[in-house]
Amino acid sequence: MTEQGTTHVIEVTINGQLYSRTVEARQLLVHFLRDTLDLTGTHIGCDTGSCGACSIILNGKLVKSCMMLAPQADGAVIETVEGLAQNGELNPLQESFSRNHGLQCGYCTPGMLMAGTYLLRENSNPTEEEVRRGIKGNICRCTGYVNIVQSIMDVAGGHGPEQAEGMVGEEQR
Amino acid sequence: MLLKSVNYVRPESVSEALGILSSNEGAAPLAGGQSLTNVLKHRVASVDLLVDISALSELRTITRMTDGSIEVGACATYDEIDHSPDVRAGHDILAREASHIEDQQIRNRGTIGGNCCLSDPTNNLPPLLVALDATMNIRAAAGSREVAAEDFFKGYFLTALEPGELLVSITIPPIPVGAGAGYVSLSVAADSKTIVRAAARVRVNGVIEEARVVLARVASVPIRHYAMEEALRGVAPTTESVRAAAELIGSDVEPIADGHGSSEYRREMARVVARRAVLAAIEEGGRK
Amino acid sequence: MQGEGSFIDDLGIHGQGYAWFVRSPYAHARIVSVDVSAAMALQGVYAVLTGDEAKEMCLVPFVQIAPGDGSRIEEWPLAVDKVRYQGDAVAVVLADSRDTARDAAELVEVEYEPLTVVVDGVEAAEPTASVLHEKAETNVAWHGVFDYGDVDFALENADHVVKIDRLHFHRFSSTPLECNGAVVDWDKGSGVVDVKSNIQMPLFAAMVIGPALGVPINKFSFSSRDIGGAFGNKIAFYPQIAALALLSKKAGRPAKWTEYRTEHMLSSTHGNERTFLDIEVPVMADGTILGVKARAVDDVGAYLHYEPLGAVIWSQVTAGCYKFKNVQIDFTSVVTNKCPVAPNRGYSRMQHLWMLERVIDIVAHELDFDPVELRKTNFVQPEDYPYLTPNGCVYDSGNLPLALDMALELADVDAWRRRQKELGTGTGKRIGIGIGSTLDSGTNNFGQARIMNPDLPFSGNGEAAFAKLDLYGEVNINLGTTPQGQSHETTSAQVAADILNMSPDDVTVTIGFDQAHNSFVGFSGTYASQFAVTGLGAVMGAVAKLRDEILEVGAFALQAPKDDLELRNGACVVKDDPSRSIPFIGIANLIYTNNAVLPRELSAKIDLNCRYVYVPPFEVPDVERKMGNLTLTYAIQIHVCVVEIDEETGVVEILSYAAIDDCGKRINPQVVEGQVHGAAGLGIAAALYESFEYDEDGQLQEPSFYEYHAGTAMDIPDIRTGNIESPSPFTPNGAKGMGEGGGAALHTICNAIQDALGKDGAVVFDSHNTWERVYELLQSSQGSEPRGVRVISREVGPA
Repeated sequence: MTEQGTTHVIEVTINGQLYSRTVEARQLLVHFLRDTLDLTGTHIGCDTGSCGACSIILNGKLVKSCMMLAPQADGAVIETVEGLAQNGELNPLQESFSRNHGLQCGYCTPGMLMAGTYLLRENSNPTEEEVRRGIKGNICRCTGYVNIVQSIMDVAGGHGPEQAEGMVGEEQR
Repeated sequence: MLLKSVNYVRPESVSEALGILSSNEGAAPLAGGQSLTNVLKHRVASVDLLVDISALSELRTITRMTDGSIEVGACATYDEIDHSPDVRAGHDILAREASHIEDQQIRNRGTIGGNCCLSDPTNNLPPLLVALDATMNIRAAAGSREVAAEDFFKGYFLTALEPGELLVSITIPPIPVGAGAGYVSLSVAADSKTIVRAAARVRVNGVIEEARVVLARVASVPIRHYAMEEALRGVAPTTESVRAAAELIGSDVEPIADGHGSSEYRREMARVVARRAVLAAIEEGGRK
Repeated sequence: MQGEGSFIDDLGIHGQGYAWFVRSPYAHARIVSVDVSAAMALQGVYAVLTGDEAKEMCLVPFVQIAPGDGSRIEEWPLAVDKVRYQGDAVAVVLADSRDTARDAAELVEVEYEPLTVVVDGVEAAEPTASVLHEKAETNVAWHGVFDYGDVDFALENADHVVKIDRLHFHRFSSTPLECNGAVVDWDKGSGVVDVKSNIQMPLFAAMVIGPALGVPINKFSFSSRDIGGAFGNKIAFYPQIAALALLSKKAGRPAKWTEYRTEHMLSSTHGNERTFLDIEVPVMADGTILGVKARAVDDVGAYLHYEPLGAVIWSQVTAGCYKFKNVQIDFTSVVTNKCPVAPNRGYSRMQHLWMLERVIDIVAHELDFDPVELRKTNFVQPEDYPYLTPNGCVYDSGNLPLALDMALELADVDAWRRRQKELGTGTGKRIGIGIGSTLDSGTNNFGQARIMNPDLPFSGNGEAAFAKLDLYGEVNINLGTTPQGQSHETTSAQVAADILNMSPDDVTVTIGFDQAHNSFVGFSGTYASQFAVTGLGAVMGAVAKLRDEILEVGAFALQAPKDDLELRNGACVVKDDPSRSIPFIGIANLIYTNNAVLPRELSAKIDLNCRYVYVPPFEVPDVERKMGNLTLTYAIQIHVCVVEIDEETGVVEILSYAAIDDCGKRINPQVVEGQVHGAAGLGIAAALYESFEYDEDGQLQEPSFYEYHAGTAMDIPDIRTGNIESPSPFTPNGAKGMGEGGGAALHTICNAIQDALGKDGAVVFDSHNTWERVYELLQSSQGSEPRGVRVISREVGPA
């Protein structure tokens, strides 16, 4: 990467698995995930970094993968929606979304789940206002946000600390 | 949505970055990318070589000096600034305003340097930095220089940076004793694009002794409104006197209209946010 | 939830190329030349299609449903001779990658000769305006007068006439998070055009483009999987599909297209923009409103997609929630140099209902009535149902006064009225309380299209469903709908499970739509708040048939009379002796793989594959009088909100928001509530943040989410909900369709702002109110400019 080039070889760890690929410098990280690696759970909803459908956690930080280039992810540790469920079992946040009807069309859901995951790691018992701030970067057109906020708060409030811990992945900031 | 073919390099030091920037005409630094990526997606500007400086630790440090000033690395993210105890200690307003920039994802990547170097009139931090009398620390392969914040922003997407130069950090002096800072933004929606905003640093000692009043999105760059500052000096720190001073914001400012607001509305609101920012600064100064 | 959805961009076909449309930067221009040589020379480009080529490959232009002048409006898969809006497609490129297609599109050289642009709908209707479609010789796509009762008599004899110069419903759309997309494969060998897409009315698309492409319906193969929201905005992108089909035919390989956001904002779908002029309202001294008279000009953009149906659809709710009888609307649909409109959530009714709600509130203010009492005086009353409206529609059931009372209580209005008084004047803040009553009419009678064009062979409605027992006894349902998050699969499984007396978990509802299932009719799709009635009606019918067939076979297998049998948990059992039973797998075996065991008359008539079409009880409307039963069900929503306005800036903050809905029998309360939240969220955002505006050169000012502020979780407040269930007497299950929501949030917010402006304040005349607009309204409230409202009161002589 210290050499200039229009293509680069990058290594990325995604949901615990290491990938090594050659990418064009111009490729957005979200296209790398979706088109190169077939991880189509991360979605694209806009072209100005406004909607958050592409949100992932990279090196412990919630980011919009459409606002990064693939070569910038070299050496990064990434979590996407595909890594949330364990052995086909929904994790507590996912369960809460299901229980609270926190999704309708499901298109914003992967981004919302990553935003919710990050928010709860930073703040395990957020107020409604804090939840709304935490998902401000994620647009939903179906739900009016009411049940999404409820889904995230229901994990925090309705479950004990051991459940919240269980959601924090192995990789830490 | 899709970028043109572009070259990319990730230097391992600031010197290396400077070397590359000075020897490649079509090169541009890539920091957080929260603005530049959009520019490239929409193909509104041409960059041949992206020089990724976002991971350079030299550019990400935040240091509080013994005299109370802080030096913030150009690639410090808004989130890092929000959570920095050093920033919170003496420049809480900077941390607060950084914490309200758009959304968490943007705050995790966007940098103070990027916010300044884009020089878009809607950028959040430039008017605050001018109000706080910050200094921009610039480095080139040949050497370094400093530029006062109020001289750094030259026009739309134009700063004092010469080709081959990098903004490496921003030094903000301590807020003077008896002074406070204020920042008020009238925005399209919550934590969203600004219609107009004002930042102020005001020192009161019985009367207003010193005032810096900066308006944003009324011109191509943040501007100090000298007439209002003049009118504030020596008057009582009351709502009435501040309101009267704000009335001086008039046809001397000609904000550009767009879908988010007419010129006339922005001008009238500039008076409102200027007054509120000054009053907030007075209140903060009084609390300390 | 686990990232395993199948949205259109997730799908593909081996060997596909990627498509990118070349779109006009001009709002109105002649196409002088299109040079594709540089694009074709780029390595990796398979083909480029231009407008002239597309026209050459077509037999006729797209089917148009307008009569008269409007029928002469022509549209082809790509622009031919002229472009008529910024974003009008002039060519499409197919290449080996998205990047190559994008790069090649930039190399297509188009020379334009700009023409005069017309962006104002009212001006566009004038004979002097620049004409978009030469063959039509006018921009008026349709005109008609709807006249019920005798509003002129009412105006002459009423105690008061309230005159309102102008009300304007703005242009916006629901902008689903997923944009449009398709993978289209024209297989020359078989002649089949395979279309995988997220279009929400696939057969409508086929009917419009089939004749143009020379493809019969049975040679299309439309299918969809997961759809990331639609709200009506995914009904009308059939021109893109037609262009992709021709591109695929030319290139000899499938064409995959994924729309990007800016492209969607420019060239997908906007909602109808409607201006009401010269509104006159006759009112009696006791507050009884006798009717309304107005001119309406509907700006439908550059081409007619689904239009001018909007010219008649609003008449499903001619008098809204109110029982006045005298309505006259002079309606004009006009084309302009803007993005074409198509049904956007609340299609055409929302615009009309908003106008009526503004009228109620303006009348209340001008004549000093309490907006609550005025509504109750004029509401259709609970004892009036089923209620015949002035134009022959029938409101099925409801309780408007109760819904209003519940909404007021849920929003805590009494407490806020006290707070409003406390705030008084001069504190820099004002509180406003607004009511929005609306109807969500569902299950259209498509015969109303004949009111717009008597020659259209459309009427009624329907939806199909297929229920079967599969080879191993599995219960499977196929729908004709194209769900986009409305939980059709869940509710269908629930309904089916109830009939078959088994767990919904064991009922499989095929996800998405597939033409090959043959579970569709011409109206199939998901739109217009009708699934609970038509979709579930079809499911119920199909499953009832299946149940009967299972019992028939069971009667033979168990050697017992059919009446002695019942279904329990996936088996057919003898009621009084459950040890005698046969599981579904056994039933299936007898029909599919073991039929010699059965008596001939049984195996001849039973096949366990039950298709049913639910047909609502409609008749063809009276085209002459523009009357008829146009919709089967009317869900009700009443919203109340409390806002606080900063007098110095016009900033509006929502302090309290409540919504009461009545959609008859609630099949799945959580799903219903989700729809109420969603419609309210979109409506609040439209009222305060979202608007599509064009400058005088026809340039869209909000071409992406950067400028068009979609409401976020920090903008949309918590929405409290409550409900009433007034079952519909007209539907199989007592449920009414709901989902569009009738735009209640727009009515509510505008009325709250009006309330804050005070009795003599300026009139809220636009459905979109930014902080600047509210500031202007506050400023003009203090001035003496004409308010746009006048009251003429009749002198009442001595009694």
